[in-house]
Amino acid sequence: MIKRILSLLVIAFAASACVVVKEYEKVNLNDPDMTLAEKSCNRNLATAHSYREAAVGANGGKTGGGCGCN
Amino acid sequence: MAEKQAEAAAVIKTKTTKQMNTIKQLLLSSIILSPFLALSQDASDSIPVYKKRVLESVEVDFLSSLYGQNGDNAAVTGGSGTEQLMDGTATLVISIPLNADDVLTIDAGVSAYTSASSSNINPFDNRKIADNFQASTGASGSDVWTNVTGSYSHSSDDRNDIWSAKLSVSNEYDYFSTGAGGSYTKLFNEKNTELSVHGSVYIDTWRAIYPYELRPFAAGGNGLFNNLFRSNTITGNTNYDPTFSTFDSEGRYSYALGFGFSQILHKNITGSLALDLVQQSGLLSTPFQRVYFADVENSYIQNFQLADDIERLPGSRSKVALGGKLNWYLNEYVVLRSFYRYYFDDWGIQSHTASLEIPVKISSKFTLYPSYRYYDQTAADHFKAYETALSTDLYYTSDYDLSQYSANQFGFGLTYTDIFTNAHIWRFGLKSIDFRFYQYNRNTTFRSSIGTLGFKFVLN
Repeated sequence: MIKRILSLLVIAFAASACVVVKEYEKVNLNDPDMTLAEKSCNRNLATAHSYREAAVGANGGKTGGGCGCN
Repeated sequence: MAEKQAEAAAVIKTKTTKQMNTIKQLLLSSIILSPFLALSQDASDSIPVYKKRVLESVEVDFLSSLYGQNGDNAAVTGGSGTEQLMDGTATLVISIPLNADDVLTIDAGVSAYTSASSSNINPFDNRKIADNFQASTGASGSDVWTNVTGSYSHSSDDRNDIWSAKLSVSNEYDYFSTGAGGSYTKLFNEKNTELSVHGSVYIDTWRAIYPYELRPFAAGGNGLFNNLFRSNTITGNTNYDPTFSTFDSEGRYSYALGFGFSQILHKNITGSLALDLVQQSGLLSTPFQRVYFADVENSYIQNFQLADDIERLPGSRSKVALGGKLNWYLNEYVVLRSFYRYYFDDWGIQSHTASLEIPVKISSKFTLYPSYRYYDQTAADHFKAYETALSTDLYYTSDYDLSQYSANQFGFGLTYTDIFTNAHIWRFGLKSIDFRFYQYNRNTTFRSSIGTLGFKFVLN
């Protein structure tokens, strides 16, 4: 099931690669809330998650190093 | 007299003729050479092509947070004991544009915490009755973590290629970490598509601390003749004799490789996919986390259950995380920010993470950030609940962070933004203030909350 979903996502993204939004059309995409990177104000939350949860990565956060043992 | 005047007139005429010839030659030369001079001028004094700076001016981010947690499954006390912990963190991030293309970022952070469970590395402080659910006043109950990271990024003239490199150092009482990493990002398709690759290496070293009652049973220790056992009475199994050995090697090595792909799907929708691969080796166990065996009778001093061993985990771990983000600009008031991640590793853990944040602009300066996040994971193969590990097992841990559980997180935030930076501190204009609060509840007794406050300043 997960493989199918991921395959569909990849196909959707690949198909959309031919979509070209011009610079003058990117006013909404340039909204600060549209950025895909993790917001800096959430970095300590991401650190807490990486300490308390087994799963890390794929979210732009830390993927290694540090003890995280407390 | 007349002759002299005639001679003078002849000399003047000759000079004038020579000057005229010189001027004519200069004009002719100018005309002939003018195209070349023009070309030469084009080459040296061409009209500069406008290139927007990657970062217009120095930016300073100050971020502080207060984190608290509690629960009944402390790993330090073998899965049964208080998990109470408080942590305060302050971080300063300074981004400096070195020129139009290059940015240097210095990131320094300090985190101070008090931990009830860590305090029970040595629960016998002779001030309170030792108990798995009672914090001790031991030195290990608090610590300070410090971190400095320096990173440098360079963008190409057309801003379609971005290189970055970083170095980091962090230290706490029982742990030291150094890291290095780099990334390359390529934008194309009129900056609608972005591919990136990043890698990092962390070389860490434990300064291992072991549970207090086990130390006399390490090689060269004096066992039950230790002052701890001579000055306290063992109850339960009075023949306390754990088989304990310290770790031979205290290094931990982490290697991460990640790939990213982001795509503008529509003038209101953008998304990304990410794949992270992490390989760890070395001492992956936490040396002060106790384990209680099911096939060994319990021993106590006061109300504190004495350790049978510490957690023992394999010396390598491979992690794979695959995630996707989709952001949708619904209208000028509302944006949807979604995230999903699937994770698995060779310790037997699988996990799903999904989150949704809905920024709502309530005015030109204020935005609300309600959010929800769901997380679940399966247990690690070597996880054993409190007192279920066997002394014959090769690997075991009672760290409930490696157990099966699910968690719900509810968040709320408020951001103030002033693009004109009217408020000032010295030469720095205040650009934004971010406040966030998150409540995190597992389907166990574990609860945590975190509040963060961030300020962004721009040098005017």
